[in-house]
Amino acid sequence: MSYDNVIELRDLQRYYKLGAETVKALDGVDLEIRRGEYVSIVGPSGSGKTTLFNQVGGLDKPTKGSVFIDGVDISQLDAYELAWLRCRKIGYIFQSFNLIQVLTALENVSLPTVFAGTPHDEGLKKAEKLLDQVGLGERLHHRPTELSAGQQQRVAIARALANDPAIILADEPTGNLDLNTGMEIIDLLHGLNKMRGLTLVAATHDLKMIKASDRIVWMRDGVIERIERG
Amino acid sequence: MKMNKEAPGRVHFTLMDAIRLGRGYIRRRLDRSLINIASIALGLSFYTTMVISDLLYSTSARLGGGQVAVESYQYWLVAVALVVSIVGITNAMLIAVYERYREIGTMKCLGALDRHIVLLFLVESFYQGLVGGLVGFSLGLASAIVITGFGAGFDIVLYAPRVSLLTIFVGSVSLAMALSMVATLYPAWRASKLNPVEALRYEL
Ligand SMILES: Nc1ncnc2c1ncn2[C@@H]1O[C@H](COP(=O)(O)OP(=O)(O)OP(=O)(O)O)[C@@H](O)[C@H]1O
Ligand SMILES: [Mg+2]
Repeated sequence: MSYDNVIELRDLQRYYKLGAETVKALDGVDLEIRRGEYVSIVGPSGSGKTTLFNQVGGLDKPTKGSVFIDGVDISQLDAYELAWLRCRKIGYIFQSFNLIQVLTALENVSLPTVFAGTPHDEGLKKAEKLLDQVGLGERLHHRPTELSAGQQQRVAIARALANDPAIILADEPTGNLDLNTGMEIIDLLHGLNKMRGLTLVAATHDLKMIKASDRIVWMRDGVIERIERG
Repeated sequence: MKMNKEAPGRVHFTLMDAIRLGRGYIRRRLDRSLINIASIALGLSFYTTMVISDLLYSTSARLGGGQVAVESYQYWLVAVALVVSIVGITNAMLIAVYERYREIGTMKCLGALDRHIVLLFLVESFYQGLVGGLVGFSLGLASAIVITGFGAGFDIVLYAPRVSLLTIFVGSVSLAMALSMVATLYPAWRASKLNPVEALRYEL
């Protein structure tokens, strides 16, 4: 059974205590994201975009409120179920790529399939196909240090797709890339969203990324300021 | 509240997966591994020197040569050397954990459980212990032959009981692997407890 709203946030709060002070990184966020939607999260630095990304991705626990993924309140999941959610339901893309430096492009992309329990050969085949799809069919055995920034982000995108997740979360995926390379990455992500019906949630400052999205969520000081149609 | 109909499955990470990944780490970060291997090999070679010397002297005595025994205080030195090598490995592994903060955070994003991280580190230390043990035993054997050679003759090792030598070999290499893994337990546990968000924020 699947729900129209693949992501639902209910009064989501995340406070950080720093000595006597409390930083309200998220201060009551309500949001529904439909399956197949492309949503940009926009806002000034410190507005809570990365904090939101971590909450939706099941990487951090809220101070109060809930995150529902496919109708499941993820705060109710145990460590095993949470790992499974991260492994199978969500693909993560980071500003700084976060590839494993000692592994080749092929090994990086096949790593999530290891945790999914896919047989080794099958995982490698899948990884090869995905790298081919992101235009790196000739770079399978290169390590991250032997690839350009744009190529590294392509590897990261292929890795995010390895277990056919329902959701792709991207935190400033073009933040470390020049204009043209960034544009290519945006096209790639947008294409995946349209062709595969992947739900794409991206925090970004990039105007081109914002323009491509279905909805734009403007954040300020840990709350949603307004939501625009793209 | 809505209920989920699709029961979540389990994540996997078998010993074979850990071995595959661990070997990659050792091969491609050889400098780090070599420090650990050298540390365990040196500590162990002290130990094997003592034990094999003891064996060679008693072999010589059995054949009618003079009786020389390894002084018991020398075993204290051996114990100290082994402890020092454990501390050295623990230290090197802690540094390795810091270096890999982001990677550990990333692996947790990809579905790794705490125990998968521990397993990966233990596999690496197993291999380091194995190589360190083989090197350490060889060094120890060579120095025992040299040390006892002047009193008992350099060929005395040929008269030593094979079974005793084999037992010492198996014992030493096992000891090296055990020490290496014990030294890695704390760093591996620390690594496994990392919160992914903290780990991903970490800048080297
Ligand atoms: N671990 C932490 N401890 C304390 N405060 C934190 C922590 N993480 C984030 N914050 C605070 O929470 C607020 C939101 O941070 P967040 O990283 O979500 O912002 P952001 O919108 O992603 O900014 P940027 O565009 O610069 O990436 C900031 O005020 C930040 O200082
Ligand atoms: Mg951020």
